[in-house]
Amino acid sequence: MKAIIALIVFLISLLTTHISQAQTINWESLEKNQKHILNLNAGWDYSFVYGLSYGYHLKTELPIILESSISLASGEVIFDDFKTKIGGQIHVYQIKNFRFNASLHGIYRRYENPLVTLQNFGVDAGVVIGYYEPKWFASGEFGFDKAIVTHFKHSDIYKDVYPDVKNGWYEPSTGGNFNFGVQGGYSFDRSDITLRAGKVMTQDFKTTPLIPFYVQLGYNYKLD
Amino acid sequence: MKTKTLYSAVIAVSIFFFMGCENENDINESGYLVPKTVDEDPSIPSIFVNGTQLHSETFGNPTNPMLIFLHGGPGSDYRNGLNVQQLAKEGFYVVFYDQRGSGLSKRHDKKSYSIQLVLDDLTEVIKYYKTSPSQKVFLFGHSWGAMLASAYVNQYPNSINGVILAEPGGLNKKLLDEYGEMSRKINIFSEVTSNLLYVDQFITGKENQHAILDYKYGISSSFTYAKGNDEGIPGPSPFWRIGTTVLESFVAISENEGFDFTTNLDQYQTKVLFLYGELNKSYGLTFAQKEASYFPVSEIAEVKGTGHEMIYFKWENVEPLVLNYLNNLK
Repeated sequence: MKAIIALIVFLISLLTTHISQAQTINWESLEKNQKHILNLNAGWDYSFVYGLSYGYHLKTELPIILESSISLASGEVIFDDFKTKIGGQIHVYQIKNFRFNASLHGIYRRYENPLVTLQNFGVDAGVVIGYYEPKWFASGEFGFDKAIVTHFKHSDIYKDVYPDVKNGWYEPSTGGNFNFGVQGGYSFDRSDITLRAGKVMTQDFKTTPLIPFYVQLGYNYKLD
Repeated sequence: MKTKTLYSAVIAVSIFFFMGCENENDINESGYLVPKTVDEDPSIPSIFVNGTQLHSETFGNPTNPMLIFLHGGPGSDYRNGLNVQQLAKEGFYVVFYDQRGSGLSKRHDKKSYSIQLVLDDLTEVIKYYKTSPSQKVFLFGHSWGAMLASAYVNQYPNSINGVILAEPGGLNKKLLDEYGEMSRKINIFSEVTSNLLYVDQFITGKENQHAILDYKYGISSSFTYAKGNDEGIPGPSPFWRIGTTVLESFVAISENEGFDFTTNLDQYQTKVLFLYGELNKSYGLTFAQKEASYFPVSEIAEVKGTGHEMIYFKWENVEPLVLNYLNNLK
């Protein structure tokens, strides 16, 4: 497993020289000469989060955007709960104004509470199919987020609960969630205002997270 | 390109060695993240009753009046109620057990639980430990355990010689909802909320992965004692394992079928002692009076300087009230 994770990191790192969640993009308004996409967002992603991301638009036959992002969970302690992603999305196919896009990201995320600190390497993959006009777009999305391997480090409080608890890396996968929803946006000048919302289900399709929804309001600014 | 490849290789190798410093653990292995249960570890004291194996201990002379402690939850365990064992020195035979599927007791499938089943378990625990037909039996319930004790005397009003109820969370569905609204206010921007919810992307757990689900709920328990909580809980209190499956099962029963443990309480003629913590802003005298009104005879006592977890944090203030009540009925 360690070797697999290292390989994934190597490949993603190799593919994304510009250290850069998939950005919500209006492909129809994205011009060929616009290389850089800056994004600010906020919303509900398991808890209330604030996010920042950067995308680099490659000059390829099939439009590709390499991305990196960070999102921080709201709360009094800023950097205890966060998620970083690195990867990209590709515009695969188009029939008139209908477009088919796919994305893949490597994930590193951290969670801390009074009992435990978790660090996780994971991956997410998704598809977006929608209708795109230069001024607006609306689409549907489906994705899967897999927590591949997780490191557990317990505090003294949990060690009081269970002195024999084992710290360290845990595998196989400690979790996985599907998401499906909609996204849309309005574009003007070099900007997009975007909105994503949907439902989250655990990988067994029988249970859900405590709050089984996500919503994200975003702003993109595109530069040459 | 060479620089790029070298850079990527360095990151990958670093991560490989970083992860390689420790052994890998199997998330599904028993005893790694939560303790083994009685069916997995024979060294844990247990009894076999009503088709299950319960983690159980007793303190005191078995012929003394029996006092059975009923822990909270559903799904928690009696570890934070162990102060009650001190009543053994006062002439009581103190019995502890982790309810079915809770704490170190054996786990069961989610669909197997019912209110009647846990009432039957209590009947069998009493039978198991009772040493003579004339031995008096008292129930001491905390939170959900107090709801269970009420349900028991509601159904079997002639079999229990006295009941102590420490902040039952609601003797029927309406009261439970009322208490829930008062005690579980959420600020979506707070650290407490992130601590409770953000973990859902790290650990999920399928319906039959009990240990993972129990662990996940256990680490989320810090929510209950977060700074400024309305229940007046000053910090963590110990537990062995939170039985997530039994908790989820009873939440589903409550939501789908409802419950009412008050329908026959007017038949219970013995005085009932209600305890509430001075610092629990969600409970208080008003809610205690509302719950106590279902019993023909009751006494309400405030436990000074504590909140909902009064037995663990302020036993010295709980014991005199309980002992006075029990000695009058002994």
